[in-house]
Amino acid sequence: MFEHIKQWLAQRRGGAIGDHDPGNLPTPKTVDDQSLSHCRLVVLDLETTGLNASKDEVIAIGAVAIEGGVIHLDDQFDLILRRPELDIRETVLIHGIGTEALTQGHETEDALLYLLEWMNGDPVLAYHSAFDQKFLEKTLRAQLGYTLPHVWMDVAELLPAFFPDSNTKGRGLDHWADFFRLDVSERHHAAADAMVTAELTLMALNKAQKIGVKTLKELAEKLHYQRRLKNMHRY
Amino acid sequence: MAAANQDTTRPQNTRAIMTFLREHSPFSSMDDTHLAHFAEHATLRFYADEDVVLSPEEGVVKRFYIVKQGRIRGERHNEKEDRAETTFEISQGECFPLAALIGERPTRTLHRASGDTFCLSIEQKAFITLFSESEPFRDFCLRGVSSLLDQVNQRIQSRAMASIGSSNSLDTPLERYALRNPIVCSPDLPVHKAVARMHENNVGSIIITDDNRHPTGIFTLRDLRTMIAEEKGPLDTPIRQVMTKDPCRLPATADAFEAAMLMAEHHFAHLCVVDDDDLLIGVVSERDLFSLQRVDLVNLARTIGTATHLRTLVSLRTDVSRLVDSMLAHGADSGQVVKIITTLNDVTVRRVLELNLKKSDPGIPFTWLTFGSEGRQEQTLLTDQDNGILFETPDGMTEDQVREKLLPFARKVNDELAECGFTLCKGNIMASNPKLCLSVAEWDDWFIRFIDASTPQNLVYSSIFLDMRAVFGPTESLHRLLERVLERIRKNALFQKMLAGNALQRKPPLTMFRNFRYLNEEKKHVLDLKRQGLAPFVESVRVFALANGVENANTLERMEQLSKKGVFDAKDANAWKEAYSLIQAIRMRAHQEMLDKGEDLTNYIDPDDLNPLDRRILRESFRQAQRLQQKLEVTYQL
Repeated sequence: MFEHIKQWLAQRRGGAIGDHDPGNLPTPKTVDDQSLSHCRLVVLDLETTGLNASKDEVIAIGAVAIEGGVIHLDDQFDLILRRPELDIRETVLIHGIGTEALTQGHETEDALLYLLEWMNGDPVLAYHSAFDQKFLEKTLRAQLGYTLPHVWMDVAELLPAFFPDSNTKGRGLDHWADFFRLDVSERHHAAADAMVTAELTLMALNKAQKIGVKTLKELAEKLHYQRRLKNMHRY
Repeated sequence: MAAANQDTTRPQNTRAIMTFLREHSPFSSMDDTHLAHFAEHATLRFYADEDVVLSPEEGVVKRFYIVKQGRIRGERHNEKEDRAETTFEISQGECFPLAALIGERPTRTLHRASGDTFCLSIEQKAFITLFSESEPFRDFCLRGVSSLLDQVNQRIQSRAMASIGSSNSLDTPLERYALRNPIVCSPDLPVHKAVARMHENNVGSIIITDDNRHPTGIFTLRDLRTMIAEEKGPLDTPIRQVMTKDPCRLPATADAFEAAMLMAEHHFAHLCVVDDDDLLIGVVSERDLFSLQRVDLVNLARTIGTATHLRTLVSLRTDVSRLVDSMLAHGADSGQVVKIITTLNDVTVRRVLELNLKKSDPGIPFTWLTFGSEGRQEQTLLTDQDNGILFETPDGMTEDQVREKLLPFARKVNDELAECGFTLCKGNIMASNPKLCLSVAEWDDWFIRFIDASTPQNLVYSSIFLDMRAVFGPTESLHRLLERVLERIRKNALFQKMLAGNALQRKPPLTMFRNFRYLNEEKKHVLDLKRQGLAPFVESVRVFALANGVENANTLERMEQLSKKGVFDAKDANAWKEAYSLIQAIRMRAHQEMLDKGEDLTNYIDPDDLNPLDRRILRESFRQAQRLQQKLEVTYQL
């Protein structure tokens, strides 16, 4: 993956938009009969300046890909955005790419284009996904005018659906990580949080496989059912 | 700066994996570029409890794995009993399957997850890259896991080794030492001629043999000095009149350690080495055993054993600690070192008794008993007194009258031992306690009550009184007492079962997840190596030993005997001996470090302070303790 980024950066330095043809970005996939043990899923986490999607901004994006039920560390995304309007420096610091990139600086627009390309239209999972979805969609719309909807799934729903009897001490990501004794290398670092979310997702997918939930569609249905059940309990 | 820069250029998750790898062997000694190569090419996989990770049916192994969290169990089918057997366990930071991957063959063992488990893994291609580019990685893969124990032993030895630099190991059989052709003479040779012969050959001793080359005596330069100083006779005296008769001897197959112990106990500097027919083969001297004078066991024992003042004994204790350092450096294992400490402690106890007898002899013969760890010959530098007295009541005296004479004497000895560094026993298990200064008949009664009317309360004392030994005085009555005790225990299945239940009270400090279980909430990161680590071994082994008539009190020797008697499987016994010794070694090293820092000695350690290798060793040793306890559970159906 790093090779790709380097190439991409090289192209950017040449001043050209390169492969990033905003009119020809990947089309998000829909919920279908994709096999969970083969399809690619993107697990994502955003760091933002605050909780209010209408005025706060995304400052970092971390994501890992699960493919074939395995996390591939050569297929990950780890960018820190410093938006011009949020920072006196007119730069986008891109971490995990190279010292050159750090000094060069890049537009948020480019980073987002790259993210879209990397996501490849695959379903996106996040912990409390509504939050990340709102921020990412807002940012994509504002910066790129991109409005195509990705499939989003909430890992915060996924876990209780497959581990209903787990006595976590709360409903946060930390609670689940603690419950399964997972290490978070650096909490509130987008990539590290994405990693632990992905690890929890692996556990849920392992369980799904065993109880016969085999496709993305079946998984979505399970979550839908879970949501209805929860709503019913409210009354 | 360069390094920091380098690091920030890598994605957080890659850095996190590198950090994890660095905590484990062999990654800890690999270059960052190689660790990065691993991290960037890794996949992370999850296995739920009981999931198959690798199986022989999958064909040639194509991936290299390291456990990031959880455990992997190796499973082999036992044909005889038609059930699955665990053959090994792989825990956090450990790699698999090395042999199969390098041999390019399928694994022979089913690998199964034990609990929720995450593994990092790289494909063969990345593995080959690392294998060819990283020397530490290649070494590790080729030597396999067996090198792990070597590494620990090397580390223990290398600590003080740096300044000594000797390759002598105390395990070496005596026959491998360059035994000098012994200088011998006949008993009738005049002393001056014998000394001339010693002088010609530049040796410090001469062995006196009979016509068949059996050693009958030894004469050393020290004897010559005494002879002249004390004017024992003219120099033309036949040597048989001044020699030390019936010299100490060992077979050639005995190892250097046994020789050193014998010398330390009797304060000799020379031993005869003989063959099976007691024919003299050679002589081994203290100097031969310890090519360097820093490890001066025999001399130290002699100095302690001949000290004329308590003050001297007290000051010699620091030498004991220095000796332990050197011993570890010379490759003595922890079993040997605890025995040495015990031997030196015995010598000290004996000397304190002798000095007090000189001053005020109570006039009644007695046997000085030691209990607990000293009874088991398992003392470390941290030790308190557990002792008692056994006496034969002289005619015309009552037991209380004897006690009246012995107790003040015992009190003095207890106090003086405390000055020498043997802490007074908080539980008053000391010879000056009237309840522990008993006649043979009283001890007998005591044990009958202890065994036949046992309560959970007094079982607490089993670890003290069932590990008993005489340090001073006649041993015959103790031997007979012990025989009766063993016989009683062997016949009393209920007592055995209670002992077994008691031995299971102390669990090895591992959680279900094979993490360390700490002492308590307050001491969050503290393990008690003695109570949590060694005690499960000592107590379980005691039950088996007593139930099977093993008289020895030493835990390692008990295991050896139990293995010989077929009570323990030989392989199990070895694993348990090894595990026990390793915990003991880690404990002793901790003691030495505390001593260096001038801290009070405790048995507490924080496993986080250990290096990853020792942590792993400790975890595996605790697992062995669990296995031993399981055997106890099965045997006594608890």
